[in-house]
Amino acid sequence: MLPAWRRLLPRHALHLPSLLLWVAVACIGCGWLVVDRLQQLHAAFETDARIVHRLLSQRVVQHDAIMATLALLQPAAAVDDLHNAASPLPRLTSVYPQILAVLQRSAHSDWPPALQAELTAAEATSRRTGHAAMAGLNLPAGRFYLVLAGTPASYALHIDLRATIPTDEWPMDMATSPVRVTLEQSGTAFVVQPGQADRGSGIRTYDFHKLLAAPSQPLDVVARRTVGLHELPWWRMLGWCLLTAALWAAGRALWRQRVARQRAEELLRLGQVARLNTLGELAAGMAHELNQPLTALLSSTQAAQRLLADDPPDLDTAQTAMTRAVEQARRASTVVGRLRRLVERPDLAGQAQPLALPTAVQDVLHLLEPELAQRGVVPEVLAAADLPPVLAEPVALQQIIHNLLMNALQALEQVPPAERQLRLSTERAESGRVTLSVRDHGPGIPPEARQHLFEPFYTTRTGGLGLGLTLCESLAQAMGAQLALAPEATPPSAAQRGAEFVLTLQAAPPTDDR
Amino acid sequence: MTDSAPSLSPLIHLVDDDAAVREGLALLISTVGLRVQTWADPQSFMAGFERASVGAIVLDVRMPGISGLTVLEQLLAQGVDQPVILLTGHGTVEMCRRAFKTGAAEFLEKPVDDEVLIEALQNAVRQHVRSRERHQGDQQARERYAQLSAREREVLGLIVEGLTNKEIGRALELSPRTVETHRANLFAKLGAESLAQLIRRYAALVDAAS
Repeated sequence: MLPAWRRLLPRHALHLPSLLLWVAVACIGCGWLVVDRLQQLHAAFETDARIVHRLLSQRVVQHDAIMATLALLQPAAAVDDLHNAASPLPRLTSVYPQILAVLQRSAHSDWPPALQAELTAAEATSRRTGHAAMAGLNLPAGRFYLVLAGTPASYALHIDLRATIPTDEWPMDMATSPVRVTLEQSGTAFVVQPGQADRGSGIRTYDFHKLLAAPSQPLDVVARRTVGLHELPWWRMLGWCLLTAALWAAGRALWRQRVARQRAEELLRLGQVARLNTLGELAAGMAHELNQPLTALLSSTQAAQRLLADDPPDLDTAQTAMTRAVEQARRASTVVGRLRRLVERPDLAGQAQPLALPTAVQDVLHLLEPELAQRGVVPEVLAAADLPPVLAEPVALQQIIHNLLMNALQALEQVPPAERQLRLSTERAESGRVTLSVRDHGPGIPPEARQHLFEPFYTTRTGGLGLGLTLCESLAQAMGAQLALAPEATPPSAAQRGAEFVLTLQAAPPTDDR
Repeated sequence: MTDSAPSLSPLIHLVDDDAAVREGLALLISTVGLRVQTWADPQSFMAGFERASVGAIVLDVRMPGISGLTVLEQLLAQGVDQPVILLTGHGTVEMCRRAFKTGAAEFLEKPVDDEVLIEALQNAVRQHVRSRERHQGDQQARERYAQLSAREREVLGLIVEGLTNKEIGRALELSPRTVETHRANLFAKLGAESLAQLIRRYAALVDAAS
């Protein structure tokens, strides 16, 4: 016995192989979604990092250009008169917000004392390398000096990195972007964009390192991005799992349906075989049960015949033999009686009820739809208007119509598909009767077969039992109806060929409310 | 093997589980002068019937417990030589084929007509009597042949081959008179009345001995 909970589930609902297949498909799909998302994120990160590198490089290259211009033009400006309106130097700070101050060291002066050492060293480096050099680098604050040695005067720019960043062209939202961007040199860093702090749940980290494209300002552009678990496409993964689960369930349902249908067909076939076997057994049993008394009967009477023919006739023995023969004849008749009671049908007349004949016809046609379609037969149904209900037992009526239609279909199989006509018509007949006619356009019934048609075990089909029409006739008679073969068209013609069976039913007596 | 069996009228064994059938058939068979012994079931028949009797066995195919075909197989396996007639109420071609293949003498359908049954029985009895006689003749011939001396057998062999007395004498280096003596002796011992009878009865034995 199955436990109670197990019985609640339909059997084989959890079909293990297909379940595993679903799990595999779901996992592969989710894995692919994750990989795809990571690739997208990586590509976006790389793109952003390169844009950032290019933007920052463009800005710092500007510094070189400004310095080169200063060194070339040598604008005169006294150190103590830096804010002179006539000098271009002070105006630089208003045009370029990242330039906090411009310093000049003329041939005869010195750098401001506080910065003298660093600026002088940078000036020397610059004079040696031919390009500007950095001095007083304070990366955490984002400040440094850029010194270019010139003749006669050398210049220094005090630069604010914060203002150097082109926020309007920035590819990311600086406040919320998960990418951390820094400018680094020798262990110190200027945070351009804070990004999301590294979380413990990070599953993948992308890094980008590249020196700014300005030899004068060799700062390392560092971008780093950590992908958190929450960034995986959870909803899409869930969606994929649900979709495949739904497909799996649907597939299982279809499969089960198919199996169930096959099983039903198999059972039907088995049922037919079993019925034939039962019939065979019945026939064999009947043959034995009847043959025994008949054998005794025949041998006793024949023995008596011989005894009486003797000279002189042995009358006593002959009489004994005849007594036995009579007993055996009675025995045979008892067997037949027993058999009849065994297969006796209930009285159908008592169960007859008023019903609509056209509806019964439609029901059977519906049942036989596959058979009709298979043979390409489109039945023509003619129903007389205002047909009274008929008195019939519903199942018996259905069986009769079913058998007549099956006979017609089998007859139609013998003619080309184009000629397969089948006509059913219901009509009102005289004296309160209603007829149903089933007419096929098959080869018809040969004259010699017509008179035996309703006899049991008479068949024109090879392999037929010869009981179909017999059964129909007894069913019809049991409910007070008649089944007959319509007379042949005279003279017989090709257009008129085929067979027509007419079932004549009694109309139901009018009810009170009519 | 008793010599008295053929002198009695043939005995028919009738095996059928149905008393009425047994009685009817037994009466019918007895009207032509055949003796009938009836058996209600195959087991008691197998256990009790006289195997030496001359006659035939009539078996119903459909009996409770054991089929007539199985009984037939068992009888043949036990070396029973009476011909077996099978009776069936619903014979199929397959059953009929199987019956003849197994060794049934006849296969009849119930209800069986008297002439058909009686003819079948008489055929079977004739066949059985002939087979018993042939068997007995063979037996007698073997016994007589065994009484011959070695020289007489040699002479018989050459007689069967068709040699004349003179030729036999030459072949066995005997005088024709001696051959004549052997010849007379072996005719007497074998109970042969003519050369043709001698050859018909003993040619097979000579061939088997050589």
